[in-house]
Amino acid sequence: MHLPADLVFRILIGGTLALGLLLTCLVLMGAVIQYRCDKQNRHRIALYQVWEKDLAAFLFNASGTARPFPEIAVGDQFIFEKFLARYYATLAGQEAEALRELYLGLGVVHDSLPGRLKHRKANVRAQAAQEVRIFHLDDQLEAVLPLLNDPVPYVTHLAAQALTRSGNLRYAQPVLDWVLREEQYQRERLLRVLEGFGPELLPWMKVHLVSPNQYPEPWILYVMLVGAHRHSESQPRLLWLLEVPHLNLRVSVLKALIVLADPTVYPRVLPFASSPAWEIRAQAARALGVLGGPSAIPKLLSLMADQVYEVRRNAAQGLADLGHAGISALTWVAGDAAADRFARDIARERLEWADERGHQ
Amino acid sequence: MSRIWPENTQVLVVEDDAATARIIQARLEMEGLKVFVAWNGVEGLEILHQQEIDLITTDLMMPAMNGFRLVQEIRDLPPPKGRVPILLISSNQNEQDMVRCLAAGADDYITKPISAQVLMERLWRMLQRASAAG
Repeated sequence: MHLPADLVFRILIGGTLALGLLLTCLVLMGAVIQYRCDKQNRHRIALYQVWEKDLAAFLFNASGTARPFPEIAVGDQFIFEKFLARYYATLAGQEAEALRELYLGLGVVHDSLPGRLKHRKANVRAQAAQEVRIFHLDDQLEAVLPLLNDPVPYVTHLAAQALTRSGNLRYAQPVLDWVLREEQYQRERLLRVLEGFGPELLPWMKVHLVSPNQYPEPWILYVMLVGAHRHSESQPRLLWLLEVPHLNLRVSVLKALIVLADPTVYPRVLPFASSPAWEIRAQAARALGVLGGPSAIPKLLSLMADQVYEVRRNAAQGLADLGHAGISALTWVAGDAAADRFARDIARERLEWADERGHQ
Repeated sequence: MSRIWPENTQVLVVEDDAATARIIQARLEMEGLKVFVAWNGVEGLEILHQQEIDLITTDLMMPAMNGFRLVQEIRDLPPPKGRVPILLISSNQNEQDMVRCLAAGADDYITKPISAQVLMERLWRMLQRASAAG
């Protein structure tokens, strides 16, 4: 098909003009959006500057008489809520209580909370859940509970934080279920959220969790929580779980015992150095170095010839952790031509490692 | 509890979080203390060299120079600047760092969120101890 030259020319001119118009519209739209954002920011900064002075006078009044906070315009109440949240996170005691009262006085913000917890936009739901957590709005916790099933991860995270921050163990089971729905690698990070329930969570778990023989997964979380905090009850809480024949649970218990580092549990750990599961042998090797003292050297030397690299590495690390006696044993293995080749190699590697860190 | 602070008591607040710094500043100024705010350890050291500072509060996690380095640097200074009482302010998560700072020569600590009453009580006691020690 052959188009006349003037028609092609007209199409080109028309197309260029349309493109130019579109570009101009986009630039203008961008400029308007930028202008609005700048205007909002300037407004917010101006408000913050005024409120900072008002807040100082409200909280710390030298005369000792309570000074009311100036009225907040309805349109500015959501900005004020964000302003308050920053300060509320910093303060405790009667000043924090005073800020909470200010928040509760924000009719538009507080009254819209139930609706915002069900809002179609994830950031609005997240902000609402965060408000419940920050300002301890326990009367809204039931409305927060469904957010544990929210499709957006940061909304569920903030909802869980709101529930745990309440310290109300009524919400322990749903939050625990949420953590167990998360990927394995995420769980360690989520322990911090569970810790929000406070020290009563562990006794609660012991009473309410299904037997570890039937369902060991939650007990791994239990073990991780016990290991994260030194407590006189920590070891009794852990040792009985070593009897449960579940690989990951035993590995977790051994890890927690390494962290707690009490040498009295050494005899309980020693048999696991001969476990058929390499994951358990690897943790036992690490534990023997931390808990065992010189009496652990023979077992650690035998583990250095293990067929699995992780076990050999941990055994060598265990010897390095034992200090002078362990380092002497590593030196002996490294120089012994009759020793297992794996053991020699790993001994040399660990000695170099220890040398770099001045362990010798 | 009303306290009568010595005249011209000067406090250096080293804090990178503006909200926390403002709150501390407002509370200290309410007691009639003169407050200097630094946003990190480097600025804090500069102010310490320029002014007659009687008390220091410092955060742990800060850019440029953190609380631990600041405590070390201050304690390496000759007296009287090297002996200015230091109060650490940090979150509970930084327990290990806090222990390191106390070992490096910090005098006391409080954790966030801050109770203004506790803050003032700790500062008051630190100043009393420093005065008694001469």
